[in-house]
Amino acid sequence: MVERILIGHSTATAFVFSHVFDEFVYNPDAARPSQPSQLSQNDEDDELTATAFEIPLNALMDCLNIFGTAGLASGASQKKKKAQDDGEDSDGGRARGVRSNGKGKGRADADDAGGNARLDQWFAPGKGTGMRMSYAGPGHPLTLLVAEESGGPTATCEITTWDPEPRLELAFDSDAAVLKIILKSSWLRDALSEIDPSTEKLTIIGNPPPPPGRAARSSAPPCFRLRAVGQFGSTEMDYPNDREVLETCECAHSVSFTYRFSHVARALRALQSSLKTSLRIDDEGLLSLQFMMPAPRRPGRRSEAFIEFWCLPLEND
Amino acid sequence: MRFRATVENVDTFAKIVQSVEKLQKRCTIKFAEHEMRIICTGDVNEGGIQVWSQIKVSSLFTDYRIQSNSNNEITISMSSEALLAALRSAAASSTAQNSSTSFTTDTQVTMKLAKKGDKSVLSLEITGLTPMARAMTVVQHIVIDVVKHADVERLKEPMCPEPDVHILLPALAKLRTVVERLRPLANDGVIFRANHNGELQLAVTTDNARVEVGWSGLTNPTMAKDPSSQNTNTDDSDAKDPAEMHGVLVSHKCLLKFLNSHVVSTTTIACICENHCVILYVYIGNVADAGGVITYYIPAKFDDGI
Repeated sequence: MVERILIGHSTATAFVFSHVFDEFVYNPDAARPSQPSQLSQNDEDDELTATAFEIPLNALMDCLNIFGTAGLASGASQKKKKAQDDGEDSDGGRARGVRSNGKGKGRADADDAGGNARLDQWFAPGKGTGMRMSYAGPGHPLTLLVAEESGGPTATCEITTWDPEPRLELAFDSDAAVLKIILKSSWLRDALSEIDPSTEKLTIIGNPPPPPGRAARSSAPPCFRLRAVGQFGSTEMDYPNDREVLETCECAHSVSFTYRFSHVARALRALQSSLKTSLRIDDEGLLSLQFMMPAPRRPGRRSEAFIEFWCLPLEND
Repeated sequence: MRFRATVENVDTFAKIVQSVEKLQKRCTIKFAEHEMRIICTGDVNEGGIQVWSQIKVSSLFTDYRIQSNSNNEITISMSSEALLAALRSAAASSTAQNSSTSFTTDTQVTMKLAKKGDKSVLSLEITGLTPMARAMTVVQHIVIDVVKHADVERLKEPMCPEPDVHILLPALAKLRTVVERLRPLANDGVIFRANHNGELQLAVTTDNARVEVGWSGLTNPTMAKDPSSQNTNTDDSDAKDPAEMHGVLVSHKCLLKFLNSHVVSTTTIACICENHCVILYVYIGNVADAGGVITYYIPAKFDDGI
């Protein structure tokens, strides 16, 4: 399941894998429209792998939190979300119409890392807020059945869906990546939350790591630098090329791209609840931030979710 | 015109006033020989919610003395906020004394009508002992208007048809959480509906979403002595389909105002007159031995303004 949000010159995509849900049934044939698709043959392959619709994100948040136990403030400023559910794993291939179930998501480990605090509010043990979500296909609402406890009240929510609008296609070419960094989210979160909110521009600077085998000289340029320029001055933050800080750092030659800080700041909420961040920039300056989200641990399965932000650079660097 | 009483149950009195305080700035209190009525009529408040509470004198007062030319009834109106503030001050001093020291029976709260200058006041005299065992008295004066006899005559409870369904509501505190969450989804009001199968539903609709929250397994009480029902024959409910929903669209704000009574409620019965109004009986204390009942009338809201 993929959720996509458009924000100006940046897009955000959340990847929620099917095994996050207790049950996930995807029935591609159920809602296949009888009339032939108006899409050209070329697009068809791509189109068949996904079911996409738009919903107002705040309505979804309000519905999930109807009993007040989900505990996440609905501070989303974006009006619309584009959701694209494509067949994961075995469901891949030919897909239209999605049906996903998540019942009684109450199994988060009590001793999870502190970074899980936010997600624990959704998956908290004992609270037992359960949700069953279904979508019957184009023209149908997204239906949510939310219950707090057995025997208690149940809420049936039907959220209006819209046909997806053509989305800003940002394709990140991983072959053309000029900077690749993986680091613990808290390192990036602390840096970005230091920056004054009035800041207009954020420059990300990458330098090739010093050749291995030699002790890092203090004169060597930092591998990763954030420079914020705002009304009240500028801030520069350097990350040392230390395995403790930058898990990986790949950079062929020095790069520097500038982004509108307000766009990057949109990623802060996702960053705050994530565990690890992968930051990549391609040769045209397109910034890709991938956040690994904590998820309830299940024995024997990996169930991380990802949120990805893409942001275009400002033109006059 | 004389009125004097000892307020025995300050905390309950304060909670009752708190339940109606948000409704409108001024409330009317009618003291009679055996009961006290707190009335908020819907003339000024938004959405037309009204309150007619009926509280037994014995559940709040002792040494209750009342005397007047109009059938020993006194009707006064005052700022509900001021009354609540005075009662809270009295409630705080009586509970503080109880918890901190061994003086448990010392605080006494007396309520009486008095004149202060050319103004009529309801004064609340709080007498107690300080921790140093010295006597201390605090007097709160609430400026009041004595309601004229002709105006008292004009205060009439709203007329309602025979309710289509009676239902015992779930705990109001829980109901309140849900109603609060419905606020962004309820710009046109909330449909409040129930049936004879113990099912209650709250439904809201906007362009963005349709949400329906349902409770089941609630009790449908028989209300033989319901004062608003002219027809006491309860058998006719068998003729109806028990699963049929009877609903009324009410303003979200009014519903929230009624839910302020969660502080005092134990049992609440909702009576729905389809497309007319919903009447909510909030019982204070046990239903069988109710010290009183606060009745809320919430009129139906119509989509196209009348």
